[in-house]
Amino acid sequence: MEILTGFLDAIKGIYESSGLVSLGWQNYVMIGISCFLLYLAIKKQYEPLLLLPIAFGMLLVNLYPGIMAAPHINLVEIQSANDPAATGHVVQEIGGKIYYEDPTYGGLLYYLYQGVKLGIYPPLIFLGIGCMTDFGPLIANPKSLILGAAAQIGIFITFTGAIFLGFTESEAGAIGIIGGADGPTAIYVTTKLAPHLLGSIAIAAYSYMALVPIIQPPIMKLLTTKKERGVVMEQLRPVSKLEKILFPIIVVILIAIFLPDAAPLVGMLMLGNLFKESGVVERIAKAAQNELMNIITIFLGTTVGATASGANFLKLDTLKIIALGLIAFCMGTAFGVLFGKIMYKLTGGKINPLIGSAGVSAVPMAARVSQKVGQQENPGNFLLMHAMGPNVAGVIGSAVAAGVLLNVVG
Amino acid sequence: MVLNGIGLTQLAAAELSLAEKGIASAKVILTGFVVVFSVLLLLIGVIKLYSFIVGKAQGSGGTKKKKKEQTPPEKKKVTAEISRPAEPKQAPPAADGIPEEVVAVIAAAVATMYGGTGRAKIKSIKKAGGRSAWANAGVLDNTRPF
Repeated sequence: MEILTGFLDAIKGIYESSGLVSLGWQNYVMIGISCFLLYLAIKKQYEPLLLLPIAFGMLLVNLYPGIMAAPHINLVEIQSANDPAATGHVVQEIGGKIYYEDPTYGGLLYYLYQGVKLGIYPPLIFLGIGCMTDFGPLIANPKSLILGAAAQIGIFITFTGAIFLGFTESEAGAIGIIGGADGPTAIYVTTKLAPHLLGSIAIAAYSYMALVPIIQPPIMKLLTTKKERGVVMEQLRPVSKLEKILFPIIVVILIAIFLPDAAPLVGMLMLGNLFKESGVVERIAKAAQNELMNIITIFLGTTVGATASGANFLKLDTLKIIALGLIAFCMGTAFGVLFGKIMYKLTGGKINPLIGSAGVSAVPMAARVSQKVGQQENPGNFLLMHAMGPNVAGVIGSAVAAGVLLNVVG
Repeated sequence: MVLNGIGLTQLAAAELSLAEKGIASAKVILTGFVVVFSVLLLLIGVIKLYSFIVGKAQGSGGTKKKKKEQTPPEKKKVTAEISRPAEPKQAPPAADGIPEEVVAVIAAAVATMYGGTGRAKIKSIKKAGGRSAWANAGVLDNTRPF
């Protein structure tokens, strides 16, 4: 009989600690959403490198919320002076009673998440991006930087929308940065300004980046004429190795002096680029752009996904963030193209305004979209390298915009 | 405590009047617009300046080198013309066991890039060294969209 009772108690204990009892309806909805995101990542290949770990992190945290639980200390009262359970524990006296501290460790993803929370992972991703980025097209045509700046206007206008929808200044800043179409920058700014919105903002940012080929072309076509889209741009001049080596050094000096808040992102980006362009640390450059970046991507994606627990994510605010993110993204594209049109006029028709849309970062997807839309008008037109200039300028531009937001509303 | 903090901030935002929200927005838009454009315009100026300086420095160095390099081949060409005037100019042998068709394709690509005005010459073609599996994965990942 005792055996049977023990067996039933064990089964009851297992049942009570299982998800069948502890999970709420929000968790089940989130499990459904994460499965849908996994489908998009695997079947549709929408940014799979990030969407897959994000979706799986989301799945894990909603199945087992303890995986993101923070460590805490339980105080257990000591029954007798020689209580063996208290051995090796810190003891403290409260209200005449003596307690020992019984620590409970945090979940696996809680510890990995510290890299996001402390703002470590995004700059390390930028280090890898720097190793893979060729700033040659930007150096050959520095005017591209204007397009990279123009595409950031959406960030600041969306800030206004968010404020009027009832978000705080910090939250509005974090929402606006989605318009930069730069995942690491969005995550970096959100962890500093509104960490409780991280899940929604990261998912919105990466979803829109994956949807660049769908979102951008209608805006580009709406704002340009057939003649403008057909402009064939002059071949870019070759850029010397010395210019490429000097570029990261000069950029980091200027930006870190004028806008120190942008220094962690821009600094790592330029360090990675110097690894690449100097040609003397090939091993480090390879490690940064392959092994390090892949490892950080796993940690970043999974833990960012794990912030999207049912209770955090299923709110009206999430829908507002998704809507505002889309507005930010569209505005960034529109302002890039509009400034492209201004440059088209000022240069007497030498600049194709389509390259302006690439100013929203999302490297190299946005540049590819410029190329595709341009080729629809003129199959012999190759805008890709011209669009890479505003595209990489957009990375610098969004890091500068992040610095501004951190400084003004942080 | 953190949750309390968030609650207090949100309460503060809800209490902002329309005018205060407008002022906060205008402040951020103006600062963002001015700072982002100023920093990037400054960068344009600096890039142009140092590109000009580097171009000048390398141009003057390059011209001297060119002059030195150009003089002897001209003499050689003349001698060749005198000794064997009828012989057609030989194509350079394919380097590193690379087929001539591939060399022709590379030459065509270079000519397209540089405008085909004879400014660019292919001096040698070497096969790139093998990459590790990690490096291959990275290259594939970054070049697949193209």
